[in-house]
Amino acid sequence: MVRFLIKGVLRDRSRSLLSFLIIGGCVTLTVFLRGFFVGFLDDMLRQSAVLLTGHVKVTTRAYAEEADLLPNDLAILEVDSLLTVLSAEYPDLFWSPRITFAGLLDIPDENGETRTQSPMMGIAVDLLSEDTRQPELWDLAPKITRGRLPREPDEVLLGEEFASRLEVEPGETATFIGATMHGGFTTYNFRVAGMVSLGVSGIGDYFILADLEGARQALDMEGTASEIFGFYKDMYYDDPAAVALTAGFNRIHKRADDAYSPFMQALRDQNQMGQIVDIAQIEMWVIILIFMTVVTIVLWNLGLMSGLRRYGEFGMRLAMGETQGHVFRTTLGESAVIGLGASVVGTAVGLLLTYLVQEVGIDYSSMMEGYDFPMTLVMRAKVTPDCWFIGFIPGVFATMLGTILAGRGIYKRQLSQLFKELELEA
Amino acid sequence: MMLFKLALRNLIGAGTRTWLNVFVTSITFVLIIFMSGLYQGMFESNKRIMIETEIGGGEYWHPAYDPQDPFTLEASHGLLPDAIADQVTVGVATPILITQGSIYPEGRLRPVLIKGILPEQQVVALPTSTLSGYAGEAVPVLIGAGMAKTTKLKVGDTFTVRWRDAHGTYDADEVEVISIMNVENFQVDQGQIWVPLERLQQMLDMPGEATFVVASQETNLLANPGSWRTMSVDALTEDFRRIMLTGQAMMSMMYLIFLALAAMGIFNSQVLSIFRRRKEIGTLMALGMPRGRVIGLFTTEGGLHSLLALVLAALYGGPFMYWTATNGIPLPFDYAEIGMLISPRMVSVYPAGLFVSTTLLVTLIVTIVSYLPARKIAKMKPTEAITGRIN
Amino acid sequence: MNLLRRSVIILMLSLIWPLALSAQSEKVPTASELIAAMDANLTAKTSIVTSRMVVHGRRASRTITSKSWVEGAEKAFTEYLAPPREAGTKMLKLEDQLWTYSPQTDRIIQISGHMLRQSLMGSDLSYQDMMEDQSLEDVYDGVVEGSELLNGRDSWVMTLTAKKEGLAYHRRKAWIDKEWLLPMREELFAKSGKLLKSSYAEEVMQVEGRWYPKVWVFKDELKRNSKGTEWIIDEIAFNQPIPEAQFAKAALRK
Repeated sequence: MVRFLIKGVLRDRSRSLLSFLIIGGCVTLTVFLRGFFVGFLDDMLRQSAVLLTGHVKVTTRAYAEEADLLPNDLAILEVDSLLTVLSAEYPDLFWSPRITFAGLLDIPDENGETRTQSPMMGIAVDLLSEDTRQPELWDLAPKITRGRLPREPDEVLLGEEFASRLEVEPGETATFIGATMHGGFTTYNFRVAGMVSLGVSGIGDYFILADLEGARQALDMEGTASEIFGFYKDMYYDDPAAVALTAGFNRIHKRADDAYSPFMQALRDQNQMGQIVDIAQIEMWVIILIFMTVVTIVLWNLGLMSGLRRYGEFGMRLAMGETQGHVFRTTLGESAVIGLGASVVGTAVGLLLTYLVQEVGIDYSSMMEGYDFPMTLVMRAKVTPDCWFIGFIPGVFATMLGTILAGRGIYKRQLSQLFKELELEA
Repeated sequence: MMLFKLALRNLIGAGTRTWLNVFVTSITFVLIIFMSGLYQGMFESNKRIMIETEIGGGEYWHPAYDPQDPFTLEASHGLLPDAIADQVTVGVATPILITQGSIYPEGRLRPVLIKGILPEQQVVALPTSTLSGYAGEAVPVLIGAGMAKTTKLKVGDTFTVRWRDAHGTYDADEVEVISIMNVENFQVDQGQIWVPLERLQQMLDMPGEATFVVASQETNLLANPGSWRTMSVDALTEDFRRIMLTGQAMMSMMYLIFLALAAMGIFNSQVLSIFRRRKEIGTLMALGMPRGRVIGLFTTEGGLHSLLALVLAALYGGPFMYWTATNGIPLPFDYAEIGMLISPRMVSVYPAGLFVSTTLLVTLIVTIVSYLPARKIAKMKPTEAITGRIN
Repeated sequence: MNLLRRSVIILMLSLIWPLALSAQSEKVPTASELIAAMDANLTAKTSIVTSRMVVHGRRASRTITSKSWVEGAEKAFTEYLAPPREAGTKMLKLEDQLWTYSPQTDRIIQISGHMLRQSLMGSDLSYQDMMEDQSLEDVYDGVVEGSELLNGRDSWVMTLTAKKEGLAYHRRKAWIDKEWLLPMREELFAKSGKLLKSSYAEEVMQVEGRWYPKVWVFKDELKRNSKGTEWIIDEIAFNQPIPEAQFAKAALRK
């Protein structure tokens, strides 16, 4: 029976092709819309996670209380042993220590005298160890505007705007002047490996990105870190899991009597990211819901129309003695076959499209004419597991729903009327 | 006109099929306008907050002033050029003096900007009048809700503030928080305390001096205010506008997806109409209607979807949009913590241009997808069409 | 080190005066007499000092050892000896300029502007606190207000009020031990009259026939729970010849 239906669908392309294309198109759009939203949201969360919050973050309790003052004297001291604990207890995440620091950056002239000097803000992450994922998270390679990535602990990247203001070139020395975590005076020669444009407004003006080991040397912070960021290995922020993990960690490790005991916060706990995530999620689902409704209506209409197109055929079949129920069921079967096939193809195209936008992105810098953006603006989608099946909901179910709604016509109309339609079409 | 009436009658005669398409198109309409309006509203309200609480109708900066670089503050103060001073005298501009200092709430050091402002000023919407009439011993200060949260300060709390005067001498005094303001703009909130201008001038030994001047929205910004620099509202909101623009690009992607969907429905419907009504087409042509008019009739029929959609959209979208434009959608954010410009209600703004451009866009797309299948008519032979055959 | 020199010197700058004064039944000295008397104790043509500074951080305390060569009030050269991190760091003060050299960067950097207001090595002193080199008498009006018992010892109380603009501290108040003619406590006030910093001698010693503070404690009075910074003089020698080269910028790199 199914084979017969498939044959019918394949042979009579006038009855199936257009429907197939339209259902496939709807499915593709559904998959892409979902992928596009996730990509957008992911971009937003990722930016926050990488720059500011991690998916979760561990600091000392004292540090967390005055984090805005970058109090490195309250840093985590035993980073390696804490990392061992974290990696063992939470294998789903990878952990990355970082140092956030501020001071002055002093650029010497050829005689070693100060040429320019400016306040600066630095973030130091592990850029160089073999298994580090930081350069990937920061997506540094494409954001380098001049020079190259750091290869040595004492090499740093400067925000492009910062570098232009200081008039410094790759390869030059930039001396950090500041205080060690103990408050001692320190100077440290960084070498400028290159310039980076992170594309986050305002951050580039005073920003340097350093390697963790380099910063540790500069700030006398061997073995310590301001914060330890935890990221889910697939970089997908799982909010409920992160919240549960945080609560569990703090139950075991946070001690009321020790301000320097480790204290964990989830992304949601920081900078009101929680509400932003919630709202964005709700917004996304509302739009997807509206979209699915619209798709269903379109496909309902499609069913209606393909039914209309075939009233003549139905009349003939009824005249030849087929029962109304049988005609209806075969029609339904046909639409299931078409819906399924179109969904498979539509999903494939949608995934391909989403994947393409994930990997290549859509450069929309040209839309921003008249504005001087320091970087290329790229929209990215993301292929998520649900992209694989979300298209089937409208593709199969909405198509069948449409056919059912349209199929009422078969029952409503009298045989003679259907037959008349046949005549009309002939 | 006859063509139009005929097209409309045909279209409505098609029943459910038409209405479903119309409904889909209307949703596209509403969604595009609603989302754009929301976005526009967000931009406008944030810009408005910025204008009202911070930048007024523009600013005049002391030549050395660079808000990005706190180290320039030491040098950026001076007497106002005459032209600006005149505006200040008549109350259409208000000077602000800034210096760096340290505060010691709970005995812990925290660097801040100390900003002096005239308590009686009407130029920016900050509750500076609370600074006047203070009878206590300490220096009265006004702080933002965000600052209050970070420093855990409450109204009535006193703490020490330390600064250096124009000559470099340390000075310190007790200050009392006399008011905490909810201004929804972290730029006038975080990391700063507000004190009466004259008091600060006295504290710093900088009589009559200021760092920058905010002009009122009602006044004309002076193009050449002596040695000071004029900063227009556009220049001051530039960064912010960029951020909003990138968001808009994201949205247009979504509009495209919805439009594509509506277009597919109408395209399909057109293909069907032409298929089912080939006899009618043949008859019309046989009766002498030129091909172009027949194509016009069918294209009009399809295109009319957008008109009906517009009517439908107005029916259910209108009240909804009116509500979002007047009432706004409340947001659960606490701006004080979020560290960005955000208003507590998202009030949508629907500029007339938005309706016009959306209507044009939707109508154009709908007409194109209506025309594409109708081109087929051009290839029909009336003799064949009239018998129902189609090639 | 500079710091030592500065404050101690300055504070002390004032003390000594042979003083028959004290013996003479309580004739109240004038402020300049008192300052001159302290100066005799505290200042010398040159001094070479080895000292330790104990800085109490929130989590731990650190001891920084340094050796300073000082000539008058204008010139000072300090080399840090410990801890290892700071060893080899040098500072040179010539009048109102301050340079620093650290072996890690092999650079000589001038400390100026806002940086002068930063804490010196995490202590409760700023660079600027140790840069003051004007004679107290030149810039302050002094008044001896009378006697007070300080820790059971009879002391003169003297207040100094700024004569001119631009001094970091508007008013100072010092307690000067009548026998040792050393300032045993000093308070630094803001223009508003608010107490900003205080310091006191915890222990004194006799060197080359003069009284000198052995342990001196500084405190930032605006910070609550500040444990202060201790400054301990381990060795001090007065009026030893110091070659002029010691105060050349080139000496920083040696």
